Amino acid sequence: MLILSGCLFSAAAVSAEDMVPVEDMVLIPEGSFTPFFLKKDNAGSSSATTTSINAFWLDAAPVTNRKFQQFVNKHPDWHKANIKKIFSDSHYLEHWQNPQGTADTADLDKPVVNVSWFAAAAYCEAQDKRLPSTDEWEYTLTDNERDQENLQKQIMAWYSVPNQELPAVKTKPANGFGIYDLAGLIWEWTADFNSYMAPPDSRNSGDKNLFCGSGSLNASNLGDYAAFMRYSYRESLKGNFTGKNLGFRCAKDTK
Amino acid sequence: MKTDFKRQLLLSLLLACSSPAFAEEHEHHHHQHETVLSTPSTDSVFNISDNWTTADGKPFQLGNLGGKPTVVAMVYTSCQYVCPLTVQNIKRIERSLSAAQAGKVNFALFSFDPQRDTPAKLTEFAKLHSITSPSWVLAQGSESAVRKLAVTLGVKYKKVTGGDYEHDATISILDSNGVIKFQADAMNKNIDGATDALKTLLH
Repeated sequence: MLILSGCLFSAAAVSAEDMVPVEDMVLIPEGSFTPFFLKKDNAGSSSATTTSINAFWLDAAPVTNRKFQQFVNKHPDWHKANIKKIFSDSHYLEHWQNPQGTADTADLDKPVVNVSWFAAAAYCEAQDKRLPSTDEWEYTLTDNERDQENLQKQIMAWYSVPNQELPAVKTKPANGFGIYDLAGLIWEWTADFNSYMAPPDSRNSGDKNLFCGSGSLNASNLGDYAAFMRYSYRESLKGNFTGKNLGFRCAKDTK
Repeated sequence: MKTDFKRQLLLSLLLACSSPAFAEEHEHHHHQHETVLSTPSTDSVFNISDNWTTADGKPFQLGNLGGKPTVVAMVYTSCQYVCPLTVQNIKRIERSLSAAQAGKVNFALFSFDPQRDTPAKLTEFAKLHSITSPSWVLAQGSESAVRKLAVTLGVKYKKVTGGDYEHDATISILDSNGVIKFQADAMNKNIDGATDALKTLLH
């Protein structure tokens, strides 16, 4: 049903072959959105500020401890006892506290957290998938402009509460695409979290304090403080970092 | 650029400091280079097993750089300004070494641009920059291999309209086991830090 609603949006743009359903994934139709930062050379031309997104498959929900456990069972290199230092800091799967280094039964349907970018990327590759790009992730969050005001309120309400015990995935309603938990549960890795999101002029000036200085003035929507939070959070990450509220979901090309 | 450079330094320090086991391991394997090569230490970039293709069309993996220290940078051949300068600075590092020392170092350039930087393009680029020494390797790989190497080296980049790349210009120095030992802004004319790091590794 959810996949069907995704397809309706994109029926004109995606061939029948693309629409073969992938388990637990939703087809996100092609479209465009305005990323957080404007490019300086595009400023003033509203059409040039949008970024086009090709149709792609996205996991309906973040990867759970259950699924990550299955991955670790098949790929013991990613067991917390075997994780290589180059691929993660020392807090990898820190919440898997039983002696075997496996997930707690009570946590199986919660999103997996304390995973590095390398672990997330390896998980997705093992499923013949990939991490979504930052643009794809942000585009999915915009939900084709459906109920933006309410969305921003929800996000800010979440950002403003201290860390809480994580609930299971899919406990809140899906967005219009049929995607769950983009906001309100965890932060998510993207494939290119280490992209430049800064306008070129601030880079050339050697000013890297973008979020305190001129960079933030180029935000395409000054009211979108939530986006500011996400982009600056990603900016602060390194591939080997882990976090108690940092997980991921996978994406897949349509062809 | 500067703050990022500091961050990268910090990263390399973190990598170096977070591996007390490495020093022992290194001592332990000191006289058994082959053993080290087949099982990279756990903080080595050689643990990344993506396949690359060199300018002469041969398959390549990061582990092939084992056994010698390596100077690494990421570039793309249609880059007008930053990448040629990066190459020039790496060549200055090479020239600062004696011929005997330079022969004991790898120089590796990995392309950001999987679409345009074919092996033929890389060969052309090498010619343009008078790169003839067998110590140099130029390689191209898939989008995901490029991203993984960039994340590992702490190099930020983004493909922008028109097929160009906005990217950090960073020179990294790996030891013979693939552990990042030194990083510097590739635009920095002062190469003393890099040559000192290399000479230390050659001793």
